[in-house]
Amino acid sequence: DSDAGSEELVLTPAELIRSLEQAWLNEKFAPELLESKPEIIECVVEQLDHMEANLKRAKKGDLKVSVHRMEIERIRYVLSSYLRCRLVKIEKFFPHVLEKEKSRPEGEPSILSPEEFAFAKEYMANTETYLKNVALKHMPPNLQKVSLLKSVPKPNLDSFVFLRVLERQENILVEPETDEQREYTIDLEEGSQHLIRYKTIAPLVASGAVQLI
Amino acid sequence: GDLGPFNPGLPVEVPVWLAINLKQRQKCRLIPPEWMDVEKLEEIRDQERKEDTFTPMPSPYYMELTKLLLNYASDNIPKADEIRTLVKDTWDTRIAKLRLSADSFVRQQEAHAKLDNLTLMEINTTGTFLTQALDHMYKLRTNLQPGESSQSQDF
Repeated sequence: DSDAGSEELVLTPAELIRSLEQAWLNEKFAPELLESKPEIIECVVEQLDHMEANLKRAKKGDLKVSVHRMEIERIRYVLSSYLRCRLVKIEKFFPHVLEKEKSRPEGEPSILSPEEFAFAKEYMANTETYLKNVALKHMPPNLQKVSLLKSVPKPNLDSFVFLRVLERQENILVEPETDEQREYTIDLEEGSQHLIRYKTIAPLVASGAVQLI
Repeated sequence: GDLGPFNPGLPVEVPVWLAINLKQRQKCRLIPPEWMDVEKLEEIRDQERKEDTFTPMPSPYYMELTKLLLNYASDNIPKADEIRTLVKDTWDTRIAKLRLSADSFVRQQEAHAKLDNLTLMEINTTGTFLTQALDHMYKLRTNLQPGESSQSQDF
């Protein structure tokens, strides 16, 4: 179905939209920037173009036309919201995002699409130039450098998130909040909902075993 | 997705957004879900008041569906006002329970909670406040421990 990249996955349109919604919700509720999903985005854009083309050919005033148009708008909204959410996080955490991408081991998926990567680099360069021209170059010579990596806050991976379990997981370690508490393990049943620290379950979000809500 | 076929006089299942849109254009009549009935809702409300825990709801979207259907299609729903009151009572009871359990969660500094029978609407109503409060508590706590590798920047 899709000729996007080397993905072997062939999704029905309904499944594709479900994946988009999942990626969107995860991105919305995760404190850090998640893996970029170029396959999903490319397929959705393709699908939207396909639908638009169909609409152009259909008879005007048909009920079908307005229903399909509504559906296109809805999908487009989710896609825009998803991309915008990512951009907000990129702008918020730009030095860390770039650092993570630079030190990424070979074979690990990228968190930035090529366009996002270019955007992040530009944003960083612009910020550096701005700081230099507005303040730094007027400082005494030994204070003219600022480490953006140190001064821009990191994403708080210890924030709490709500999640729903898609695939059963066993023995997830729950770390204690206070010194008096002891750590314990829990099992995540399929279909159950939980409130827990993001850090513990981050890999499960990446693998699709849980869904943030 | 796939929809239809649309034949006059025959009921067909469609997504809620489409149903509301068609109703607004006066092209259809909406049929309320089975659970949107006075007796059933009374049962649910009473059970919710009896138990300390959350009872499973007939639909994970009971609140949203009730609001939408009563706003746009109350003429298709028998005893709409009673239904509105019953659902609101059940909602209030559940939110009160949620507030109590959120309070004890923060107070006892729990690290994990299972919330199976909560619907998304309820989670999102209190969720943002709860997670932000927990984040603040965590930051305050970790800054109390000297010598810990704490970040010097707060945000």
